[in-house]
Amino acid sequence: MSEEENVTTAEEVLVYLITQIVEDKEAIEIDIEESDTKVSMVARVAPDDMGRVIGKRGRVAHAIRTLVGAAAAKDGVEVEVDFDG
Amino acid sequence: MTEEMTLEDQGQAVVDFLDGLVKEYEASGKARVVEIDEDRIEVTIDGSDLGFLIGPGGDTLMALHEVTKTVLQRKAGSGPRARLRLDVAGYREFRRSELAKYVEEMAAKVRDEGIEIALEPMSAADRKVVHDTVNEIDDVGTISVGDDPRRRVVLVPSGE
Repeated sequence: MSEEENVTTAEEVLVYLITQIVEDKEAIEIDIEESDTKVSMVARVAPDDMGRVIGKRGRVAHAIRTLVGAAAAKDGVEVEVDFDG
Repeated sequence: MTEEMTLEDQGQAVVDFLDGLVKEYEASGKARVVEIDEDRIEVTIDGSDLGFLIGPGGDTLMALHEVTKTVLQRKAGSGPRARLRLDVAGYREFRRSELAKYVEEMAAKVRDEGIEIALEPMSAADRKVVHDTVNEIDDVGTISVGDDPRRRVVLVPSGE
């Protein structure tokens, strides 16, 4: 039960960050898959917004992963984040 | 969104973004603008238990800086682009003073022993701390060698 709450914190941080960066907020979709050891999140955004969330040389995507990871680590969960346009 | 924003507005936008993020983390902290000059906005987050926002070696703080810059660019539209300096719980200030202390020791060695000392590769911000620190010390100068991200400062004896 508590693990689900933890995932929610990481997910909320991910949604918040993406919402602040993209143009088309309505197109944001987050898919979540949980296994025993890890939570995988795939963030889908409008194709035109892909460049914004990835950034030059993937720097923004990397930074988002780190910040979502910090939310998960706080609660002892490991999270993987991918992006899809 | 594309209307021009003043630097004050941009500072406020950064503060709003960071306060919102801290809330999502369910952490207790508050962002505030420390200083604004003609091309720089300095913002800090203070609160308790904010170490998770700094991370090992400041990694998370660097990520926070990158994302905040991106959000600011989105919001500022065509307005004047300020450089952003971001700190969490005094971490950068602490690192800066630790680095300055270390550089003073190395500079004393260079001066007393007449040798050159190459420091490890550093970010542009850290190299500036080195240059500024050595500037205040007689008989020691700095040169920079190599290219980013391997660019480093060498402390050299100067003046006769």
